[in-house]
Amino acid sequence: MIHAPVGCGYYTWGTRRHLGDVYNWAAPGVLENEANHRRHCYTTAMTEQDIIFGGAEKLKRALLEAFRINPGAQGAIIYNTCSTALIGDDIEQVAREVSAMVGKPVFACASPGFCGVSQSKGHHEFNTQFYRWLLKYREKHPEVCMKEEEKTPYDVNLIGDYNIDWDLVTVVPLFEKLGLRILNVFTGNARLKDLFKLPDAKLNIVHCQRSATYIAELLKEGYEIPFVRVSLFGISQTAKSLRDVAAWFGEEKMKRRAEEIIEEETAAIEKALSWYRERLSGKRVAIYVGAPRVWHWPKVMEELGMEVVACMTTFGHKEDYEKIVQRVKPGTLVIDNPNEFEIEEMIETCKPDLFLTGLKEKYLVRKFGVPTLNSHSYEAGPYAGFRGFVNFARDIYQAVCAPVWRLARNEI
Amino acid sequence: MINHVSEIPIEGITYKQLRIEKKPLTPEYVPPPPELVPAAKRAVCIDPSRTCMPFGAMWATLGVHRAIPFVQGAQGCTTYVRYTFSRIFREPASIATASFHEDAAVFGGRKNLIRGVRNLVCRYKPELIAIVTTCSSEVIGDDIQSFLAEAQDLMEEEFGPEVLDLTKFVVVNTPSFAGSHVEGYNRAAHEFLKALSRKSGQPSEDLYFIPGFLMPGDLRELKHLFELMGVSYHILFDISDTLDCPLVGMPNKIPYYPPGGTRVEEFVRAGDAKAIFALSPDAGGAGAKWLSRRHKVSAFVLPMPIGVGNTDELLKTVSEVSGRPIPEAIRWERGILLDAMADTLHYTMMKRVAICGDPDFAAAATRFVCELGMIPTYILVGTKSSSAAEEIWKVCEEYNYKPVIMNGSDQFEWEYALKNDKPDVILGHSRCVNISKEIRVPLVRFGFPVYDRIGYQREPIVGYRGGERFLARIVNAILDHHYPDDRTHQ
Repeated sequence: MIHAPVGCGYYTWGTRRHLGDVYNWAAPGVLENEANHRRHCYTTAMTEQDIIFGGAEKLKRALLEAFRINPGAQGAIIYNTCSTALIGDDIEQVAREVSAMVGKPVFACASPGFCGVSQSKGHHEFNTQFYRWLLKYREKHPEVCMKEEEKTPYDVNLIGDYNIDWDLVTVVPLFEKLGLRILNVFTGNARLKDLFKLPDAKLNIVHCQRSATYIAELLKEGYEIPFVRVSLFGISQTAKSLRDVAAWFGEEKMKRRAEEIIEEETAAIEKALSWYRERLSGKRVAIYVGAPRVWHWPKVMEELGMEVVACMTTFGHKEDYEKIVQRVKPGTLVIDNPNEFEIEEMIETCKPDLFLTGLKEKYLVRKFGVPTLNSHSYEAGPYAGFRGFVNFARDIYQAVCAPVWRLARNEI
Repeated sequence: MINHVSEIPIEGITYKQLRIEKKPLTPEYVPPPPELVPAAKRAVCIDPSRTCMPFGAMWATLGVHRAIPFVQGAQGCTTYVRYTFSRIFREPASIATASFHEDAAVFGGRKNLIRGVRNLVCRYKPELIAIVTTCSSEVIGDDIQSFLAEAQDLMEEEFGPEVLDLTKFVVVNTPSFAGSHVEGYNRAAHEFLKALSRKSGQPSEDLYFIPGFLMPGDLRELKHLFELMGVSYHILFDISDTLDCPLVGMPNKIPYYPPGGTRVEEFVRAGDAKAIFALSPDAGGAGAKWLSRRHKVSAFVLPMPIGVGNTDELLKTVSEVSGRPIPEAIRWERGILLDAMADTLHYTMMKRVAICGDPDFAAAATRFVCELGMIPTYILVGTKSSSAAEEIWKVCEEYNYKPVIMNGSDQFEWEYALKNDKPDVILGHSRCVNISKEIRVPLVRFGFPVYDRIGYQREPIVGYRGGERFLARIVNAILDHHYPDDRTHQ
C-alpha cells in the first residue's frame, strides 16, 4: 500500500518481471497474469483535500478495503512517501489498528524520498524497521516462530537476493545440493510467514551486501546468527561461495559435496563459455549498476577475457568502493553516482566496447554507438550461478557482436 | 546439421526450464465485495490509469530545443520519470534534480535550487530550464520565484550578465496531489506561454499547435498535413525530434542534446500568432486560452484529430483560419481511409469495444470507433475530465449508444466490468495487457503509456493516414482473434 499521491504508486507498479510463484485469482478458474510480480497497485492516491486535512483516516479505510478485496492476502506493508511524511500521517498507528482489526500482520515502512541520498537509504531503513517490527511481532505472536522440533542444523537464510529474472532458479539448487535448507530469501519470492522465521536460521548467506547486510548484522547482534558474504556471479566466485559456506559448517562431507557440485557445474557450462570467451576476449567493458554488482562483476568479465575500464555505482558506499578498487586493475576509472555528462565523458575517455548499465542510461550511450546490456533487470536472465553465467555471456555476445554497430560505423 | 549456427551455445537456462508453477493464493475465486468495486465508493485506488503531475510538465519540457527540466524534489521524482520516458520512447531523457535530502525537507529547497541550477547552467548550457515542482517542495512551501531570482543574481555575479541571455527559465507548479500528468502538461503549456510569449505588434500568419501527449509519429503526421495545406505552422512541445532520434555514433561534442524540439524563439513569437490550436483539450487547452486572453490570439480547443470527423474538424478550422483550401492530396488520403473503412465494415460493425486512456485519447477514440460502427461498452477516462465526458456523451448520443463512462476511476473497476461483460476488443495502453490476457480479448495499444510495442511511437494514429493505420491495427487484432483463417481470405 503506497500512501502517497498517485504517481509514487504508479511508477513502482509493473516494473519488474515475474518474480513470484503465488498468484491471485482473476476470475473463476483463471489465475491472474503472471507477467509482473505485482499484478495490482494499491495506493491511497492522496488528493489536495487529503494533504490539507491529513490522510491517516483514508489510509486506514484503504487498507481495510484492500484486505476485504483480497481475502488471500497474508499481510500488508505500508510505505509512506515525501508528501505523507511531511504532513505527518502516523502510519505506524494505522498499521497497528488495522492489524488488530483484521488479525494479519501489517508493517509500516517510513520511506519518504528525501530521507536519504538514494535508494540505498531506503534499503537501510527497510532492514532496520522491518527487523524491529519483526521482533515485536514474534514476541506478541509466538506461533509465527519456528518450532524447536522443526529446526535443523542446516537451516540458512539467503539474504539480499531479489530473484531478478529468476536468479533463484540457478542459485537455490546449489545450496540445496550442499544439504542446506533455505528458510528465507530476503526478499526474492519471499513470504511474510517465512520472513518471521528469519531469526530461526543457523547461518545467513549474504549476496547483495549493500542492501541487506544491515539485517544480517542485526540478526548477528540480536540472535548471534553469523553470516558469510558470497558472490554468486561467474565460476570462480560462485565456487568460492560454495566452499566458504561448506567451510563454515566444517563438515568434510559437505566440503566434498561442494567440490563435486563445482566440478559438475563447471563441466556443464565450460564448452559454451569457451565459445563466448573466444569471441569476447580483449573487449573493453564499463560497469554502472547499483553498487554490489559493480564489484561482483569485474571478476566475471575477466573470466570472459574482457577488460574492465571503468566502474560506476548509483548508491555505492565507502566499502563498496574499497571492494571495487581491490578487484580492478590500477588505472581503471571509478566514478561515484555519475550524471549523464560524466558518463559521456567516460565514454569519450575510456572508449568501452560494452556498457553494463540500466534502462535510463542505455539509450544515451547507444546513441554514441556503444552496445549496452540491461544490468539491473537483465535482458534474458537468470545471470547468477553457474548456469546463469551462460545466459550472461550470451547476452554480452549479442550486445557486443550485433551487426548494427558495424553498420553504424560505415559512412554512406 | 544445417549450418554452424546450431553449434552456438545459446542458453544456460532456457525460458522453458524457467516455467514456474503458479500457486493460487486462495483455494477458490472470491469475487470482490460488490460495494467496493466502484472507485468512487472506495478510499483505496487500485491500478490507477494516470500518473503524477510533474511527469506532464517534464514531457512538455522535453519537447523544447536544448531544454532541461529541473525537478525541485527528491531524486525519485526524477528517476522514475526518466525510467518511464526511456521505456516509452527507448530514448535518453535528460532531467535534472534538486535531490532533496532531509535538510531540504526541514530548511527548504533554496540551497538545492540555487546550486543545482548553477551546475546545470555551467555544465549543460541549456537554452531553457523548466523548474518543475513536486509534492514535497509544494508541501514545504518553497518560494521558487524568489529562489530563482537569487540563483540568477548569483550566476550573473559569477559569470557575467550574458549568462542570463543564454538560459531562459520557466516555473511550473505541479503538486501531484492536485491533478494528474494531464494537468501537468496543461499547466506547462500555460506557464511556458505566459513566461515566454510576447506581442511585438507585427501580427504573423503563423498557426500554433499544442499537441498534448501525442507521439513523435503523430506529430510528423500533423506536420505532413500542415505542409500539404501550405500553412506556416509551429508545433509547441515538439517531441518528434527530441524523443525519437537516430543513432549517429560518437557525437562531436558533449553533452548530448537531441537535435529537435520547439525553439524558445517560437514561444516568444506566439504572441503574434494568427491562431493557436490545442489538439488535446485537457492537455494544453489552458495554454491556448491564456494566449487568447492575453494576446488576443484566436484559440481553438479541438478534439484530438483521430478518425474522420475529428480530422475533418481540424482541417476545416485550419483552412478557415488560414484561408487556404484543403488540397486534393489530403482529400485523397481521406478517401483512402474511407475506402479502408468500407472494406472492413463487416469486421468492425457491431463489435463491442472497451476503451481505456487519458481523457483526450479516450474521447477521440470513442468517436473513431463509433465511426467504424463499433459499440463502445465501458470507457475508462483515467483522469477525471468534464470536457472528455461531455465529448463522449455527445458522440454516443449522435450514434445512439449508451456506454458506461468511468470518469477518473481506476482500472480495477473497469477491469471488473470487462470480466463480467467481455468486449470483442480493447483499446487501451500497455497497462491493459493483464486484463486482455486474462479475459482473452485482444488489446489494441494506443495512448499513454505504450512501452511494450516496438515502433508504436513512430506509427501515427492521427490524421487520415494515421486513422487508416489505427483501423488496420484494430481490424487485424479482431481478425487474428475472432475469425477462423478461411473467413479472412476474401
